[in-house]
Amino acid sequence: MVRVEGLTVAYGGIEAVRGVSLEVAEGELVTLIGNNGAGKTSTLMAISGVAPIRSGRIVIDGEETTKLPPHAIVARGVAHCPEGRLVFGRLTVQENLRLGAYQRKDSAGVKQDLDRVYALFPRLLERRTQLAGTLSGGEQQMLAIGRALMSRPRLLMLDEPSLGLAPLIVQRIFSVIQQLHEEGVTILLVEQNAHLALTLADRAYVLETGEVRLAGPAKQMIDNPEVRKAYLSQ
Amino acid sequence: MFTPTYVAQQIINGVNLGSMYALIAIGLTMVYGLLRLINFAHGDLLMLGAYLGLLLVSATFMPLILTLFIPMLVIGFLGILVERLAYRPLRGAPEVTMLITSLAVSSIIENSMVMTVTAQPRAFNLPAGVNRLHTVAGVSFSTLDALTVGLSVALMAALTLYVRNTRTGIAMRAAAENLRAARLMGIDINRVVMVAFFLGSMLAAAAGWLWAAKYSTVEPFMGFLPGLKAFVAAVIGGIGVIPGAVLGGYLLGFAEIFFVGFLPPAFSGYRDAFVFALLLLILLIRPNGILGASTEERA
Ligand SMILES: Nc1ncnc2c1ncn2[C@@H]1O[C@H](COP(=O)(O)OP(=O)(O)O)[C@@H](O)[C@H]1O
Ligand SMILES: [Mg+2]
Repeated sequence: MVRVEGLTVAYGGIEAVRGVSLEVAEGELVTLIGNNGAGKTSTLMAISGVAPIRSGRIVIDGEETTKLPPHAIVARGVAHCPEGRLVFGRLTVQENLRLGAYQRKDSAGVKQDLDRVYALFPRLLERRTQLAGTLSGGEQQMLAIGRALMSRPRLLMLDEPSLGLAPLIVQRIFSVIQQLHEEGVTILLVEQNAHLALTLADRAYVLETGEVRLAGPAKQMIDNPEVRKAYLSQ
Repeated sequence: MFTPTYVAQQIINGVNLGSMYALIAIGLTMVYGLLRLINFAHGDLLMLGAYLGLLLVSATFMPLILTLFIPMLVIGFLGILVERLAYRPLRGAPEVTMLITSLAVSSIIENSMVMTVTAQPRAFNLPAGVNRLHTVAGVSFSTLDALTVGLSVALMAALTLYVRNTRTGIAMRAAAENLRAARLMGIDINRVVMVAFFLGSMLAAAAGWLWAAKYSTVEPFMGFLPGLKAFVAAVIGGIGVIPGAVLGGYLLGFAEIFFVGFLPPAFSGYRDAFVFALLLLILLIRPNGILGASTEERA
């Protein structure tokens, strides 16, 4: 579905990502773990076309998208639920969700997906006319995920969906991710909570200071002593 | 000393001036919200709108309303052209670079006008009926005053409906709030920016026509002061937020008229200084303007 080859992202002189290669196959749930500043967010932003790519290639469904603008990437079925949620605080919950479906022309399908998101997160239905800026952190995260789902994506990229949330809400969000995975949505998940991510994922990449340090099946990663020591604090 | 009639008269004048500031401020705030660009050329599009209006009023026999609508349309497209030629190549450049570029665009437009039509002010005279005075309960206003307020309110209401309800309008508000997040939604920013320039320039042209009609004159530098004051209005209201531009426009219009109308004549000369003092005062209390986003929200 998506292949990243030798990706280098640089902000001015600082290389945040250096020669990263990774791949997510159709229907897979792949997680990207690593410490703060490892380059996870930059990698996702590069796939979405909003990070400064110095070198390397990004290929989606066999087509190179490295230089395409973000709206062209969305048009190819990629949705990005960004770190820090980035919901539009001055827009209502429903307007935020509708923006997730910005490029879609099938209004019947959009309506259907709206109902689906409201079914997944009933809280959003209750607050649909409220400004997103007035929601709690957990509700905003649900909104950000719901908004990403509204494009009916084939590849869903989630950046730290559990960050700063109460355990109960984290559980809720991860069960939704699990459910989407079972429905066949391809998922690339960036997560601080490595244990949770590795339990859920098919495969994992470990990023360290901008480079891929380890890659392999998630179940093996959980047992890898290096990973246990560095990311599972065991 | 100030009779109710006098006060009512001042209010009418305030609404009148405020309407024009609001019309101008909307375009400035839309563009700033999207691009963080202070568009100094905005006042010059206003001026071009006024000249085009004058041309149509004096050289054709078309209905008056067309001499207003045609310049709005033409200047709307000119706004798109200016953005394409001057601002789009600078996408992502530092704010100061964009600022200087807009000053350059402003100078180019003004100088071209001086070279072609000369700096000589020209009379902008409308058919006599338009300036006819009506007196209601001792308060007088011209047909033009009524037209100014009615048209401004109608245009702003239409814009509000557009921005609140249409897909592009919602995208525009989203992009003004967080450009990167808007791009991740698949919004083509160039398209949104184009629409903002079109609508904003159109409103500026309307304001230019009304301004020229009110003061019965046009000249190549006529856009500078209204442009600057409308920018102040946008900042007072909270730059980047359309209702803020409207609120700021009316607030400034009223403040200016009241300053002149209720203080001894000796103060009138400080009118413009007062506008900026008011700006500083409001920003001291509300650094992001009255309806502006707090700094954390902006990030
Ligand atoms: N917009 C930016 N400008 C400059 N430096 C950035 C920017 N975004 C990220 N960085 C830097 O790039 C590095 C990687 O950051 P990031 O991709 O956010 O990592 P992670 O998501 O793994 O925490 C960090 O050192 C960070 O400071
Ligand atoms: Mg990150």
